[in-house]
Amino acid sequence: MWIFWQPEKAFLQMCNLPVKVVCRANAEYMSPSGKVPFIHVGNQVVSELGPIVQFVKAKGHSLSDGLDEVQKAEMKAYMELVNNMLLTAELYLQWCDEATVGEITHARYGSPYPWPLNHILAYQKQWEVKRKMKAIGWGNKTLDQVLEDVDQCCQALSQRLGTQPYFFNKQPTELDALVFGHLYTILTTQLTSDELSEKVKNYSNLLAFCRRIEQHYFEDRGKGRLS
Amino acid sequence: MRPGGPPRNLRSGQRPEGARGCRGHVQFGKSPQSPPSRTRFPSPKPSVSAAVRDCFRHRRRDSPWRVWTAALPPGRGRLRMSPRPRASEVRGPTSGTPAASQAARNRASPGASPDPQPPVAGEAATGGGSCRGKEGTSGELLPGQRVCKMAAPMELFCWSGGWGLPSVDLDSLAVLTYTRFTGAPLKVHKISNPWQSPSGIQWPYKEGNCEGRSRSRQVMICGHTSFSISGTLPALRTSNGEVISVPHKIITHLRKEKYNADYDLSARQGADTLAFMSLLEEKLLPVLIHTFWIDAKNYVEVTRKWYAEAMPFPLNLFLPGRMQRKYMERLQLLCGEHRPENEEELEKELYQEARECLTLLSQRLGSQKFFFGDAPASLDAFVFSHLVLLLQAKLPSGKLQAHLRGLHNLCVYCTHILSLYFPRDVAEVPPPRQMPAGPETEEEPYRRRNQILSVLAGLAAMVGYALLSGIVSIQRASPARAPSARALGMAEEDEEE
Repeated sequence: MWIFWQPEKAFLQMCNLPVKVVCRANAEYMSPSGKVPFIHVGNQVVSELGPIVQFVKAKGHSLSDGLDEVQKAEMKAYMELVNNMLLTAELYLQWCDEATVGEITHARYGSPYPWPLNHILAYQKQWEVKRKMKAIGWGNKTLDQVLEDVDQCCQALSQRLGTQPYFFNKQPTELDALVFGHLYTILTTQLTSDELSEKVKNYSNLLAFCRRIEQHYFEDRGKGRLS
Repeated sequence: MRPGGPPRNLRSGQRPEGARGCRGHVQFGKSPQSPPSRTRFPSPKPSVSAAVRDCFRHRRRDSPWRVWTAALPPGRGRLRMSPRPRASEVRGPTSGTPAASQAARNRASPGASPDPQPPVAGEAATGGGSCRGKEGTSGELLPGQRVCKMAAPMELFCWSGGWGLPSVDLDSLAVLTYTRFTGAPLKVHKISNPWQSPSGIQWPYKEGNCEGRSRSRQVMICGHTSFSISGTLPALRTSNGEVISVPHKIITHLRKEKYNADYDLSARQGADTLAFMSLLEEKLLPVLIHTFWIDAKNYVEVTRKWYAEAMPFPLNLFLPGRMQRKYMERLQLLCGEHRPENEEELEKELYQEARECLTLLSQRLGSQKFFFGDAPASLDAFVFSHLVLLLQAKLPSGKLQAHLRGLHNLCVYCTHILSLYFPRDVAEVPPPRQMPAGPETEEEPYRRRNQILSVLAGLAAMVGYALLSGIVSIQRASPARAPSARALGMAEEDEEE
């Protein structure tokens, strides 16, 4: 599976729900909305963090019950910020940055398929992503501008987090899961250049936040991958 | 001083005394290596903004030339006058009148009115005269000097108003609101023809008529003599001649020019701004696009109607359709690939998320006047533009509209901003509603008269043709001669046969 499953996994882990990660080449086609990851529970398939959260809530697990209305509004807003900026920046780096595309993405994306399908599918996916970038206005952005946006987003998150252990009081919420997922991905994925992870590392409280969650919820992995 | 709170502007600090109100002066000393292409003539039209008018007044009053060069930072004084721009400016009032009248019709600039026309023309003449005099005495342009770069105010081109709003387009509305919040001295052009926007590729390509060469894609300010096929609105033409067409970038540019509505926000509030703007973009914007452009009833009865009536012929035949296709594509890409059979569900889901978003905004606003206290910030501009469109437009199928009307504090918020910062646009609404009734009743007697006349003319034509071609003949002969005449008539008929 691709590298976007961290937020959902973190969320499910925080809810104390056991989860097993399965990698499939045709995951995008199996998903009901075309987006990965998705969870398969019994005979239901739910994709994307938002619906997953609601699905889990319907089953009686929720992380954000203790928040008041204003805080819930802020939480949703920050989640959208992360989706808007970090997710799009990750997509951009994977598919629109020529260096990364050539060295890493094409090979990884097309690896399950035989030639020439691996090239064709990779190019098709790249074209789709580029179209989407253009539609949301990121088509003409350079890498530096994207990195600047990431920096802005991290700054906003860092300011919101401040010195608290989690974003809202002492308990983690969906926002924490989402932020952790994305930052963890950025910090641990090998890309052609370290600029993206350097941007995140500039904010020490975010780094501490990630380490804390990793130790708390993923300690069965043994030593954390975050140095 | 606006009653809504001090506008967060003018943090640029001290400007030179003689250049008050004349922003261009501050920029003159900035970059001696600025390319000669950045030549700006003052508009020959008398409809100049307050900033340029002030410049002229200053120059006329206080031995203008000296004041102006004194306003330049020392050591960077450059002779920036060339006879040609002055001359064109002096000719301006005469040649620019038709353009000025058109601009006056299109424009709804906050400070301008037809009154400055004569005095500015006079001032321009004097200014030109004095400068030319000075030019004569000081000789030619010294090497390394640029052509005159008068204080060119920033110009904003945006969609014109409708439905009781200052503008019908979301982005234009957001940018306009931000400029009102900060009091930026922009010259606002409200147009309804995106091909007149300075963004996009200009055609025909115009060379600068001065020493400096203008770069491609720059439009000379002397009038809307070129148009751009891929132009979009809103578009900001900065004092340097650069054109910015992305709304976020326009606002960033205004911030750089020290018109910053977020100056007083704390870091946490700045972070909240980013977060809520993302929320708006992700949750509310797709549904707004859907409501105005994709929903069949709304599109045909409201959106397309307005655009088709506002745009000039022949653009109104194909541009609305093209815009709709663009929005549809954008929506599809925004929402991901949706399977056709799930379209209903997708729509339901979209609207549900939008309703949730509105409720969240309402909760966050609470009972405050603005999102961050008593003074408006950039977030308020964006939220206001999204909400007020939904609130004011008379949509036949407005499911989201009903939900928004139920959120009382958001409605109050919108009307408050509208009445405070756009009073003229709100006041303009009732008269146009009464006016359409007037011309119609006046037209009716003319219409009836025209109908009768046309019927009579038709009848006369038919009768005349009948008489001339002999189908009908008038017999004016006396009864005694009648048989012979009839025989004659019959003989003629026999001959014809």
